Amino acid sequence: MNRCIERHRNILDFALSSLLRRKGKNLSLLSVYTLIVFIIASIVFFTQALKREAALVLDGAPDLVVQRMVAGRHDPIPIAYRERIAAIRGVSEVRPRFWGYYYEAVTGANFTLVASNDGQPSVKSVFIGSGVARNSSLTEGDFLPLRDVKGTPVLFTVGKVFPSASELVAADLIQMREDDFRTLFDFPTGRATDLTVSIRNKGEVKTIAAKIAQQFPDTRPILKSEMLRTYDSVFDWRGGMVIVILSVAVLSFIIFAWDKATGLSAEERKEIGILKSIGWETGDVLLMKSFEGVVISLTAYLAGVSLAYAHVFFFSASLFEHTLKGWSVLYPQFRLAPVVDPYLFCVLFFLTVGPYIVATIVPSWLAATVDPDAAMRS
Amino acid sequence: MRNSTLFLTLICCQLLICASFVLHARVSRASAGARLASNRELVRRLELTDLCLFTEARYTRHPAMADRHAAFQDHPMALEHFPSGSLVTPPDFRREAP
Amino acid sequence: MARRDGGPRRRHEVLTVIELIEVSKFFNAGKANQFIAVDGLSCAIGRGEVTILKGPSGSGKTTLLTLIGCMARPTSGRILLHGIGKECLAGCAVGDTVEITSLPERFLTSIRRSAFGFIFQHFNLVRGITVLENVMLPAYPTGESLHEVRRRALDLLETFSISRHAGARIEQLSGGEMQRVAIARALINDPVMIIADEPTAHLDSKLSIEFMEIVAGLKTAGKSVLIASHDPIVYDAALADAVIEMRDGRLVGGGTRP
Repeated sequence: MNRCIERHRNILDFALSSLLRRKGKNLSLLSVYTLIVFIIASIVFFTQALKREAALVLDGAPDLVVQRMVAGRHDPIPIAYRERIAAIRGVSEVRPRFWGYYYEAVTGANFTLVASNDGQPSVKSVFIGSGVARNSSLTEGDFLPLRDVKGTPVLFTVGKVFPSASELVAADLIQMREDDFRTLFDFPTGRATDLTVSIRNKGEVKTIAAKIAQQFPDTRPILKSEMLRTYDSVFDWRGGMVIVILSVAVLSFIIFAWDKATGLSAEERKEIGILKSIGWETGDVLLMKSFEGVVISLTAYLAGVSLAYAHVFFFSASLFEHTLKGWSVLYPQFRLAPVVDPYLFCVLFFLTVGPYIVATIVPSWLAATVDPDAAMRS
Repeated sequence: MRNSTLFLTLICCQLLICASFVLHARVSRASAGARLASNRELVRRLELTDLCLFTEARYTRHPAMADRHAAFQDHPMALEHFPSGSLVTPPDFRREAP
Repeated sequence: MARRDGGPRRRHEVLTVIELIEVSKFFNAGKANQFIAVDGLSCAIGRGEVTILKGPSGSGKTTLLTLIGCMARPTSGRILLHGIGKECLAGCAVGDTVEITSLPERFLTSIRRSAFGFIFQHFNLVRGITVLENVMLPAYPTGESLHEVRRRALDLLETFSISRHAGARIEQLSGGEMQRVAIARALINDPVMIIADEPTAHLDSKLSIEFMEIVAGLKTAGKSVLIASHDPIVYDAALADAVIEMRDGRLVGGGTRP
């Protein structure tokens, strides 16, 4: 047993000194490998954390939202629909929602305006999100001018700034009183942006949605599960830019493992011949080669994953900012709750470490099986 | 010092760091719980439906409420030109009127 | 085979360490370019003796070395080892004699590693690592404690007066110094027999004589030495106990069955 351990340690020693001999090449290999693992792991951490955040936070979202469609596009819904919807069995409450978007030309930012009397905003007073405060350099007590439909500026006072912990839901939010909202947008009377429906028994949501669609053919109901599924697809590996970044990373990894796999240098081949001639068996040589692979891939994997964790959860995924921000002027500061999914990291481990070790051993196989007497003749 | 000893020490340190991160994740969950609860409460009170991620355009800001095709939201010639449009896919399964 | 003292070989005077019986080695057997390297050769190598394999290039010397050193198997014939190798086959061997021609691969390798030390024509030292590590290299896979191996290696370097180069790279050494490193490496596993293939091919006369002095030291230490060479300094040396002359894969001057 001891001999076995010693043998492995001795061969590991030689593998390490072998790697150190070609310091430059191996260091750059290690860096590239670490970078690729870092990118993939960062994406995994980021999307997992956001998915969890979405699932937990949007749990408070309305059970059902009813929108009205005119000529296939979203239109304000008559508040009169409220009574008939509330009459459907299983519905506990129907409330009109007033919300919309406001484009601020000065900074180029888009704000989401929400009308709600929650928290009792006073007349011409607004509660703003921390992103809005940051974007327009506002604090409590400052003035926020908004233009109405006629272009006249209306002055609002900032009553409260939502805490920065709420960035992910309220960064671009401006909350005001309902009457202020209607005046500002000259909102048609008797209409609301949409209606939210609370349902007593969550299992009946689909049935009630079907009934609403039937009774009001000009509407479309949106279920909470559908809202959440949207986020699943945004953050899934199968979606959009995530798959592009991932493919690039995986492809570059394949290219560089392929480069390794397509052959040993003459020097490496000669070295294996020498080892065979001085008494190393094929198994010893292959063990050494696999150690070379393990050293690089294990170090790179662990370093890449650790750096990715620090990047996403301590530095708010700052490297993704430019990709994700796009043309947004207002960009939330991500302070995410860490999520570690062991399954995904096992998969990542086998997808990166496994092929790399194979790519190191396979080309050596042929050289390692050479007869020792061949070294006598060289 | 033997190379292998150095290497094994390095790996142990890295594993320790990874383990400490796992611990950090566990611990943060507790403090994150309070933040998530208050956000959930805010969502409930204001009846919000979406996270604030992409504020470039209407359909990227509220993907859950968006029309089926993000492009053509504004006019027929409006081709997709926001990068987040490639991240935010059209909402799944809309129950249109029969 | 001729002995230095002129008389015919008398078997009871010399203990045999390796015995070859009608050994042949064919390459590319059955094909158009079939080549017979060794043809029906029989001889005996004496224990504790310096045996020289003499002959022009192409005579099969190197092939014979590889067969004796358990590096390759003969196409036909038998090779017997007397008094070595049995510890590698704990419990398997019968008596003191091991017939290597019928052994499985892994036993062959383990015998080769522990019983033989090789010195190659081109030294075959690994570039880029230190002299000390080169000397320790054959002992790595045996699972022996590195501390122990290092001590032995340093002792060997001391014996050959090259300990000051212990930390130097191979590229920095002269031909003679590399030769000594190769010899030290061959001795690291304390082998019974040293096999050298054209050891003086890249050395000048002075260094060749120095090499033969080292061989004398090895003989005194009880090692058997087998050298293949076409260098007169080697085969005409007084040190050589037996000279086996080969041509075209066969012994020259008859070959008495031992």
